[in-house]
Amino acid sequence: MGCSSSLPDRSSGRLGGVNGSENNGVPDAKNLRVKLVLLGDSGVGKSCIVLRFVRGQFDPTSKVTIGASFLSQTIALQDSTTVKFEIWDTAGQERYAALAPLYYRGAAVAVIVYDITSPDSFNKAQYWVKELQKHGSPDIVMALVGNKADLHENREVSVQDGIDYAEKNGMFFIETSAKTADNINQLFEEIAKRLPRPSTTSAT
Amino acid sequence: MENADVFLGLHDFLERMRQPSASDFVKSIKSFIVSFSNNAPDPERDSAMVQEFLANMEAAFRAHPLWAGCSEEELESAGEGLEKYVMTKLFTRVFASLPDDVKVDDQLSQKMSLIQQFIRPENLDIKPTFQNESSWLLAQKELQKINMYKAPRDKLVCILNCCKVINNLLLNASIASNDSPPGADEFLPVLIYVTIKANPPQLHSNLLYIQRYRRQSRLVSEAAYFFTNILSAESFISNIDAKSLSMEETEFERNMEFARALLSGFSTDSDGLPYHSDQSAGSFAKAEPLESRHKALSSKKESDLSNRSDISEARSTSKDTLYAKEEPEIGKVQSLEDIENKGATMLLKEEDFSKGVFREYPYLYAQVGDLTINDVEELLNNYKQLVFKYVCLSKGLGGATPSLPLSNSQTDLPCDTESVNEEHQGTEAVNKEHQGTEPADSKSQKHTDVMDDSNIVSHVSKENVESKPHKDELVAPH
Repeated sequence: MGCSSSLPDRSSGRLGGVNGSENNGVPDAKNLRVKLVLLGDSGVGKSCIVLRFVRGQFDPTSKVTIGASFLSQTIALQDSTTVKFEIWDTAGQERYAALAPLYYRGAAVAVIVYDITSPDSFNKAQYWVKELQKHGSPDIVMALVGNKADLHENREVSVQDGIDYAEKNGMFFIETSAKTADNINQLFEEIAKRLPRPSTTSAT
Repeated sequence: MENADVFLGLHDFLERMRQPSASDFVKSIKSFIVSFSNNAPDPERDSAMVQEFLANMEAAFRAHPLWAGCSEEELESAGEGLEKYVMTKLFTRVFASLPDDVKVDDQLSQKMSLIQQFIRPENLDIKPTFQNESSWLLAQKELQKINMYKAPRDKLVCILNCCKVINNLLLNASIASNDSPPGADEFLPVLIYVTIKANPPQLHSNLLYIQRYRRQSRLVSEAAYFFTNILSAESFISNIDAKSLSMEETEFERNMEFARALLSGFSTDSDGLPYHSDQSAGSFAKAEPLESRHKALSSKKESDLSNRSDISEARSTSKDTLYAKEEPEIGKVQSLEDIENKGATMLLKEEDFSKGVFREYPYLYAQVGDLTINDVEELLNNYKQLVFKYVCLSKGLGGATPSLPLSNSQTDLPCDTESVNEEHQGTEAVNKEHQGTEPADSKSQKHTDVMDDSNIVSHVSKENVESKPHKDELVAPH
């Protein structure tokens, strides 16, 4: 199994190796640094989505990062601003659910992932949405992601269910396939567009 | 992120502080340390004071001619040097200074020492593909070093190194098995398992200390993520109950009871069984050749199983037996041989154990004809790993001259004079052994090569710095 397949796909918006040159530079209005937390049942492919997203610079033998549970990636937007995502993965097993607040505290974005072949994982996703509405930061940007969209013959959660739930909760919704890389970049680009921007005057 | 070169930080920082133009800095640092020590401990206020002082000083460095034309890295390094200097001075005043924290440390450590007796990777959802207990010892060792350092960064590095080892092992396992790449679903459970097995000293106090006194602007990004993971490991461990380990309430309680009995030294053989290798049977059991011991074990299998069903009864029996004996034996800890026996008994009880535990030892069932010359290297590595682990175990138990398994000299291991309290010293002895002796060192080198851990931050230069406190005192230039 595994979620890697085919060749790395480098989209035009990707800034390869930008990490090396930034030196913890002070983030400003044009260069946002954003904490993004991934929530969802174990096995829905959270880490696969991230790996797919950063694949342009991810090399399994690389010693730059400690591991794949934390990764960062910078994307450039049309308006010549950049967003550096610092992506915090969380353990999705039930027994670790109570630890999640330690991870989503201070996160600007929460990406809640389920597997379109698993209604259980969809229920779990709804649980996370409710929890974040109750305890997350009030202006957190939430995205609902139905992953494994390539497995449509095993689909058990309809697209409409995802859309409806997301709409009702004011979230961005997308179906992705980490395996085929479908919609992975779109997911992060959409999130980047929805981030509240600090006004240029208040930036230091 | 955490680079080894920062270590030159303290050195470089002290050098600059010797410059005449740094005299104002020296004065303010010294007066800060003195004024700080005059107040009663108050973690919130203390932490805020230190953070503010470090921030102000860093800003002042930036504006000072001493650092004119310096790179960001050099300024960063000066900040690291300052943090390390100040915190080394304030350490005794702020580390584990509240009785409540000390209490939590003790409770947590107690809990880990009990749970480590029976927890299995499955209890935490660690998939078989990613189980690798022998290599996790390396990650445990990194955590256990945490009290060798005083500076918040150095302590943090111990945690990060532990995480790095775990991640490398997970990555290798996923590549080898063609499984999904490891994410937090795989990482956190292993970190929790490793933490429980390592039972690092004063875990709670160490984490609070890092949280409060590591300069906040540097506890960000990847370091913050992995620090959060160890915080959540601590939280998980302190709340462990039957449910969080997917155990029946009764099974969990039985295991805890059993571990308590084991640790209190009441039970001389860990299973609470009547098989007393060196107390009731005395030197007889020890002198027995290994094979016959194994036979004895297998023949005991049935009775062991039946005894298991009512462990409390078995335990009380063994308690009674003990009370009947002479005093000195009560505080006795198990010998290595006892532990081997216990393990063997447990192994025999496990169904299809050949598929489980021995998975990691691919050559166990190999015939000579199966081997090729290419296997030699791996076999040798395996052998060295085994020897190293065995020596560590023996050392940990307080054995003076550990010897290889299967040699008769193992019966020489002194085991009558130890007490439970010495266990901790044993661990330290292992650490020292690991650094000090040549074979252990070259062995660790081997691990490093195998596991791509070469980027583990070395503490060596730092230790050198710490060992020369007098030379590195801040001296106001005249």
